[in-house]
Amino acid sequence: MTTELKDKPPLGRVIVVTSGKGGVGKTTSSAAISAALAKQGFRTVVVDFDVGLRNLDMIMGCERRVVFDFINVIQGDAKLKQALIKDKRLETLSILPTSQTRDKDALTKEGVEQILNELKTEFDYIVCDSPAGIERGAQLAMYYADEAVVVTNPEVSSVRDSDRVLGLLNSQTKRAETADAEPIKAQVLITRYDQSRVDIGEMMTVEDVLEILAVPLLGVIPESKAILRASNVGTPVVLDGPSAAAQAYEDAVTRLTGTELEMRIVEERRPGLFRRMFGRAT
Amino acid sequence: MSDFCRTYRWSAFTSWQVPAEHTSGVFCAAACSCNGLPIRAGRLKAAIRLEQEQSFELSDRYARTRPDPRSAKVAAFQVRGRFLTALALRIDSASADAEFYAQLDEQLGKGRQLFMGAPIVLDLANAPDFADHSRMRDLVEKLRARDLQVFGVQNAPAIDARQLQTLGLITLAPGREAPVPRDTNPAPAVAQTVTQAPLAENKVIRTPVRSGQIVVAEHGDLTIVGSVASGAELVAAGNIHVYGNLRGRAIAGCHGNENTHIFCQSLNAELVAIAGVYQTSETIEDTARERNTHIYLKDEKICMEVIA
Repeated sequence: MTTELKDKPPLGRVIVVTSGKGGVGKTTSSAAISAALAKQGFRTVVVDFDVGLRNLDMIMGCERRVVFDFINVIQGDAKLKQALIKDKRLETLSILPTSQTRDKDALTKEGVEQILNELKTEFDYIVCDSPAGIERGAQLAMYYADEAVVVTNPEVSSVRDSDRVLGLLNSQTKRAETADAEPIKAQVLITRYDQSRVDIGEMMTVEDVLEILAVPLLGVIPESKAILRASNVGTPVVLDGPSAAAQAYEDAVTRLTGTELEMRIVEERRPGLFRRMFGRAT
Repeated sequence: MSDFCRTYRWSAFTSWQVPAEHTSGVFCAAACSCNGLPIRAGRLKAAIRLEQEQSFELSDRYARTRPDPRSAKVAAFQVRGRFLTALALRIDSASADAEFYAQLDEQLGKGRQLFMGAPIVLDLANAPDFADHSRMRDLVEKLRARDLQVFGVQNAPAIDARQLQTLGLITLAPGREAPVPRDTNPAPAVAQTVTQAPLAENKVIRTPVRSGQIVVAEHGDLTIVGSVASGAELVAAGNIHVYGNLRGRAIAGCHGNENTHIFCQSLNAELVAIAGVYQTSETIEDTARERNTHIYLKDEKICMEVIA
């Protein structure tokens, strides 16, 4: 594990994890991606933009350490340093939780920009966990992004919503509005992929999804019990022991940092004959 | 100074038809919800940006009071969008004196066929004095004596609409017009604006059109190099070409041009419409589905032809 601090100036890349549709795994992916980035030695902060529905801190296992939040910082009630929570497992990882009692109207463009600029001076990657939908919260989460991870399940409604979000990324963001800026680099992350259901035609294939969305593929995360288990204990899946999903997230993050890596669809290990006979009792 | 004339477009009544069947019908840019198609007038209004928003309000009203489509068995009539080109006669002299009519007659002598049967709107932007009823009546009588078919007045806020009606005139909301330089010789300007169709402005989009996006080519053809996602919408006054998979909606000939076509490399459209006649995904024949298709209008019916 390479968790030594780098002395280089921070990269300051803002990555938004978004999807449009709810329940596809944005928060889980944000947690896993930020943890995997931190594990690779990048100074990483994950920011929860889902004001009013605070979940990220639970997935990250720090909900009891929240004192100040994102909204407090925007409103000037607290300093950014006071609100940032340092992860206990990885020293390169920080969490900026959001407020459970406020709503999305508490977010302001200027406030968000100011906080992101401040974070850019200290972190390599700033992962923004977008709320579902395409309203204010989601728009502000994507507005200042440099890159986007569009989380999609291999089913039609999720793909269509992702397509909508890709359209917004190309039109409603700072990079889109700035005349000669490079457009946001958007990549699709397919989650809850189940090869056995694809084989019997119950689920869209990766090719189908990519044909519709027409953006590069970041990774394919298999449907896995490890994810639910990790969420329940408040650990990002990449820090919760080896699993197919953890492997897939690590691969995706390697690609996210710009390293070429052959695409492989990691499958959950099928229980062998022995386990199928005796495993259930344990 | 008598001065003319700009082409001037307005839509009279734009609305829906009562579809006799569910397979095809008239798809109108301004229609509210025809045949189970939830098309919000407001959205298309914004998209197409027609000059005369009034017509939309009108169509809205019609749409709301339409009879229940389930009870309508056979359509007794059709109300369809219509654009009408009218000549605007802007009066720049303070009074209609002998000089005015002399210039007018000279103009008529130069190009009588231009005025033959053309509906004419009086533009009083520079001559508010004509709002006076007796002067207006005198002017209209003299114009009509010259076979000019005056039917309306624009840019005259002070005018009494009821008195106008006795002259058989209506008031019009001002249209968006391209200003004609006043000091140039008016005759060639007239010839130019009338003989030339409004300049086609074609649009080429080289990125995929995403769900929820609307792309409008208001005055020409629309070409998309890439696919069109379901939930996306293409609107063009002219033809639509899609070099990719067409899964969204394509509306060609949105101003009523029936001689427009839609081409796509793979047809999966939610809806295709040409000059108001539409067909939805349900009724697209299987022979054309996911094929390289040419869609056009023949005898007011959508035809789909597989190319190659």
